[in-house]
Amino acid sequence: MSEETVRAAPGTVSVAELEARGRKRRQREGTLVLGAQILLGLGLIASMYVLNATSGKLFMPRPDDVLAQSIKLWSDGTMLKALGESLTVLVFGFLLSAVTGSLGGAILGGFRPVSRVLDPYVNALNSTPGAAFIPLIIVWFGLYTEAKVVLVWNAAFFPILINTASGIANADRELVEMGRAFGARRTTLFWNVMLPDALPSILSGLRIGAAISTVGTVIAELTMAQSGLGGLLAQAGNRFQMDKYFAVVIVLMALGTAITAGLRFAERRIGAWRVTT
Amino acid sequence: MTEPLIALQHVGKLFGDGLVRALSDVSFDVRPGEFISLVGPSGCGKTTLLRIINGLITPEEGSVTVMGRKPEPGPDLAMVFQSARLLPWRTVSGNIEFALALRGHDKAERRQRALALLGAVGLRDFADAFPHQLSGGMQQRVGLARALAVEPKVLLMDEPFAALDAMTREVLRRELLQMWARRRMAIVFVTHDIDEAVYLSQRIVLLRPRPGRIDEVVDVDLPEQRWEDDPRATPAFAALRNHLWDRIHAMARDGEALEELAGAFPIESIEKPER
Ligand SMILES: Nc1ncnc2c1ncn2[C@@H]1O[C@H](COP(=O)(O)OP(=O)(O)OP(=O)(O)O)[C@@H](O)[C@H]1O
Ligand SMILES: [Mg+2]
Repeated sequence: MSEETVRAAPGTVSVAELEARGRKRRQREGTLVLGAQILLGLGLIASMYVLNATSGKLFMPRPDDVLAQSIKLWSDGTMLKALGESLTVLVFGFLLSAVTGSLGGAILGGFRPVSRVLDPYVNALNSTPGAAFIPLIIVWFGLYTEAKVVLVWNAAFFPILINTASGIANADRELVEMGRAFGARRTTLFWNVMLPDALPSILSGLRIGAAISTVGTVIAELTMAQSGLGGLLAQAGNRFQMDKYFAVVIVLMALGTAITAGLRFAERRIGAWRVTT
Repeated sequence: MTEPLIALQHVGKLFGDGLVRALSDVSFDVRPGEFISLVGPSGCGKTTLLRIINGLITPEEGSVTVMGRKPEPGPDLAMVFQSARLLPWRTVSGNIEFALALRGHDKAERRQRALALLGAVGLRDFADAFPHQLSGGMQQRVGLARALAVEPKVLLMDEPFAALDAMTREVLRRELLQMWARRRMAIVFVTHDIDEAVYLSQRIVLLRPRPGRIDEVVDVDLPEQRWEDDPRATPAFAALRNHLWDRIHAMARDGEALEELAGAFPIESIEKPER
């Protein structure tokens, strides 16, 4: 009897054992997912070969030609130069829209009268397809970098503005009342309760804005003075150099993915308190 | 007699541009260091009364003074809400420091006091955890610690234990009584639970609904330190609770009488037409 009470109950496991099991399970899942992804990638490459063989290289370039073109474009500096030009437009346009959009959103969300007055205007501008502004931007700002930055700003501004405004306007009312009950004034409430509560919404606005910035950059480079990756894309496309075209598309894909992943990471870091352990 | 700490005179509160009358002609005093409970059925304006005393809303009718002045959220008042209402992006200690910062304590002092208060509610080990890592009962304790940390003269509590399981509730009640015995701030405690009100308070304000008004103010003449000599088995306690329940049943009968009156009218005029 005494022996039984001393011994751990049958079936009890140690923490270390549980951790090891969890790690093993995650590892197994990870390997499976990665395997499936690699298979899918190989399948895509294989189907490119098939399409190339059946429909010709104008329809689909051979993956090894794309690779050869990539190496050439990277080694002679063409790609790097284009990437630099695109990044300049993208980064300036995005930063501009991030700053103006989140400030404007904070004002819209924080002051009800302002948002009530401006609401129809914001809605109207937001509903207008971004492309409609391109001629106006060209007339006002020309065809070069400034105009492209303005186009990107114009595209990314509204999602950031609207997400920030709604995040702040919809900040948890119970928490705001708690702050008020303990004597917080408006500015303290804003910085310590409403803004942190709105942060996830602001960050997703920024993520959407960044994705749109990439699109805006390419559109600007295609429709204004050709430059950067968009210009390279147009060049290759116009001459039906599909291998070169694909080489550029791959860089654009990687760029977009990297930006979104970076912002996701930032979101996760800042929202660490949300993650349940 | 001592000056009342809180004085409500003929307080009336209307919502929705005067369409909803939440309170009508409510008058009572709270003395310094008194433990008073507001009891009454749902919708009788208990939360509204606490918000008025806190200075979060102002009544349309009557007057309210807290320490002789118009109430204003500030260092003399603190509220414990029905849900803990912790800032989820701040640690447990950070939440308490938030309230202390509003009182103008400096940084080093804030941390120290927060830890001391967490010790008092048995959560010192969780100072650096985030609220979501705590159980509901633990979160509620943090809410209590936050309110106590600012050393208010008046502690307002809005059904603070209602969302908790019976065991945690019982533990926290005892802790609250001990805390109150030590610090002697005035407590205005809102609850649905008659037994809880009788067990905790020195006086009970029984409210009736539609519109919220005072039904009766009942003195609870039970000896103090009730966490040691539990009065809940005594005849005096039973008498008080029976009395309160009688009043509540009477309220319910009045309510039924009203329903019957409504039933005398043709249904169509009351129910919304379909589609
Ligand atoms: N902000 C508001 N706007 C409109 N009506 C309100 C508002 N706050 C409260 N009321 C009304 O006032 C009355 C009293 O509400 P209150 O929340 O004070 O009741 P309560 O006694 O706390 O109820 P419960 O026990 O359910 O919490 C209710 O009829 C409610 O509909
Ligand atoms: Mg209530």
